[in-house]
Amino acid sequence: MSIVLATYNIKGGVGKTSAAVNLAYLAARGGHRTLLWDLDPQAASTFLFRVRPKLRGGARKLVRMHAPVVQQIKGTDHDRLDLLPADFSLRHLDLALDAFKRPTTRLARVLESVTPDYDYVFLDCPPSISLVSESVFEAADALLVPVIPATLSSRTFEQLEELTGDDTSGGPVQVLAFFSMVEARRALHRGAMARLREVHHLTMLGAAIPASEDVERMGDERNPVAVFAPGSIAAVSYEALWWDVQRRMRAGR
Amino acid sequence: MTDRTAELVAERELAPEEIAAALAELGLAVRAADADTIERVYLDTFDGLLHAEGLTLRWQRGQLELLPAGRGDIPFAAAACPDPAGPLPVAQLSPGPLRDALHPVIDVRALLALARVRVHSTPLAVLDALDKTVARLAVETPALVSGSGREALLRPRLRLAGVRGYERELALVRDRLSGALGLEPAGATLADEAVRAAGGRPEGTGAKVDVALDANERADAAAAAVLSRMLEIADDNLPGTIADTDSEFLHDYRVSVRRSRAVLRELKGVFPPGELGELRAELRWLQQVTGPSRDLDVYVLEFDATRALVPGEERAELEPLRAVLGGRRLVARRQMVQELRSPRAVGARARWGSMLERLVALPGEDRPDATAPIGELAAARIRRVYRRMVRMGRAIGPDSPAEEYHELRKQGKELRYLLELLGVPLFDAGVVKPMIRALKGLQDVLGRHQDREVQTATLRALADEVSALPGGPACLIAMGVLVDRLERDAAAARAEFADAFASFASAEQRARVRKAFGA
Ligand SMILES: Nc1ncnc2c1ncn2[C@@H]1O[C@H](COP(=O)(O)OP(=O)(O)OP(=O)(O)O)[C@@H](O)[C@H]1O
Ligand SMILES: [Mg+2]
Repeated sequence: MSIVLATYNIKGGVGKTSAAVNLAYLAARGGHRTLLWDLDPQAASTFLFRVRPKLRGGARKLVRMHAPVVQQIKGTDHDRLDLLPADFSLRHLDLALDAFKRPTTRLARVLESVTPDYDYVFLDCPPSISLVSESVFEAADALLVPVIPATLSSRTFEQLEELTGDDTSGGPVQVLAFFSMVEARRALHRGAMARLREVHHLTMLGAAIPASEDVERMGDERNPVAVFAPGSIAAVSYEALWWDVQRRMRAGR
Repeated sequence: MTDRTAELVAERELAPEEIAAALAELGLAVRAADADTIERVYLDTFDGLLHAEGLTLRWQRGQLELLPAGRGDIPFAAAACPDPAGPLPVAQLSPGPLRDALHPVIDVRALLALARVRVHSTPLAVLDALDKTVARLAVETPALVSGSGREALLRPRLRLAGVRGYERELALVRDRLSGALGLEPAGATLADEAVRAAGGRPEGTGAKVDVALDANERADAAAAAVLSRMLEIADDNLPGTIADTDSEFLHDYRVSVRRSRAVLRELKGVFPPGELGELRAELRWLQQVTGPSRDLDVYVLEFDATRALVPGEERAELEPLRAVLGGRRLVARRQMVQELRSPRAVGARARWGSMLERLVALPGEDRPDATAPIGELAAARIRRVYRRMVRMGRAIGPDSPAEEYHELRKQGKELRYLLELLGVPLFDAGVVKPMIRALKGLQDVLGRHQDREVQTATLRALADEVSALPGGPACLIAMGVLVDRLERDAAAARAEFADAFASFASAEQRARVRKAFGA
């Protein structure tokens, strides 16, 4: 059985894609057969792995499974790490899913056709509340939620609880949150982190990702940070985060 | 993930620069990673069991790795292991996936280091316009390393591995490089090429007789052909027997001697009587001097299975017996090795070979069957032994003495060899195969019966030695239980005899034998 992890946040630009790309890379490097499914029409993960943003037949054909989903999968430059790329047609993924009788279960079905080949599957989600996000809540074993430490961030948790709380398929999906883009020198960040850790100590992971130029450089390097900046604070932080996530997933099994 | 792979060979050294130049014309770039040299050892059993299954076993960087054929360079099981210099029995591997994968394939056979290579390899990534890796290459310059450490270059290889979703690019790259650099698909794996270069046989050295015969050829020529092959098998297996590489060497050696004796006996009319008598005596002697070692091999190999006959609590108590058997085995081996190296054994081997070489040219007056067609002679012998067995078997009942069962089993072996060595190549498979099957069924029952009797006798004979050991008295009690179980199993085999014999000697079977071999 593969473990499905989705990076999700209603908010945009919080570090979902950066986390998905780096964690998927670490999973593969650790010996696991890993797939990253880019669900965002902006195709940021696809770009970061140097793959052409192109789905043959578009989102509709993908979810209809007329052709085997594996045929859309591309090997990345890294051993054991594959990518199911995104293209612009994914902006209509909602509509494509809605054509099915039980729309929110369809994405999981599509995923099941390839999961036997993988130990870990990462879903990189677009920032929104939609049929796609609902489907992701059904398909995922856990949501990895990047949270930027700020006063308003506690809203994120309330919204998530609302969104995932009424999932009937097998209990609510597990939520694992982590601080992203942390500027430890700022008192505001430190204060927000302390407060959120206290209230959400079960969902909040210990590892945090600092704000770092190395993460920003991923766009130029088009590689996970561990490839071009091994040993950097960013690289080490993602490793700690991956370690934390694995531990939590083991404990939950 | 790598989905497809290809391996090409070159007749000359390959430079990464030429590869880059050839691929530039396709709009693809090449990026080289650090070159590396590794030492690697290829292993298989003497009879090539892994090769037959399409598996490659290699040692490199302190790891034994098992690779399936045609799936590139990705092992499906591996285990840490020191440089395998000598034979490696599977039991010596640490428990885990590798041992689990190997055990059912190689069983009691030891793994032998067949070739050692040193491979200099430069990995290259083939990149498209987005700088994305679309295929992986490795330029390999392998050399065979001899025992003295000298290197002999093997053909350079280009290994290609596809990236999922870029199958088209892989095909383009392969075709382009084949054309531009004059590469050929590698017919054989590097493992096979290296083993061959080292003077070995990648497919291993089998112990199958498999000699094609023609029913009309002279019986002496046919006999010489079959016997020569068996002599070859004996020769193949003698070094491993003496070195105790694994227990199969001695087994195959003995089977070959026993089969040869059966042919000498059954086709006696094709050999010169004087030489025949001497050779038969020598082969009987070889059989005798190797017997105790083989028996003890079997005891040691089957110790756990035999021990499983007694109830759980008593199993552990039998442990001292294992040590006694192991000790006896070593003593028996030492004696056997001495005999096999003796001038008498060397002389017997020489006479055996020389008679086979000269046989067809020898005068015919004292060899009445020499020029008879082998088909006729073989049919007569098969018919005869079969009928003898039917007669003997009918006379056996539940209360017959054990010797009668043993005698029938001996005849069964004789028939089995006749059928396998002469029946299969000369007669209709539709008759021979079912006959061998029915015979096997009968022999299994007879064999179990006899093995149990012999085991019981051996256990009794070991009682004194065991009782003197620490844990001896408890072991003796457990041995008593074991003897009881063995006797019960022997009785069970006797009970099964009637059915097994009935199908061997059924009217249908007899009619088939009559039809195929005349009556
Ligand atoms: N830890 C970090 N330090 C500095 N910059 C970061 C960090 N994490 C992400 N970024 C930058 O922030 C931007 C958004 O990051 P990312 O794409 O990972 O977020 P996202 O949540 O996936 O965004 P979207 O909602 O658009 O999909 C990118 O330019 C990225 O380089
Ligand atoms: Mg994103």
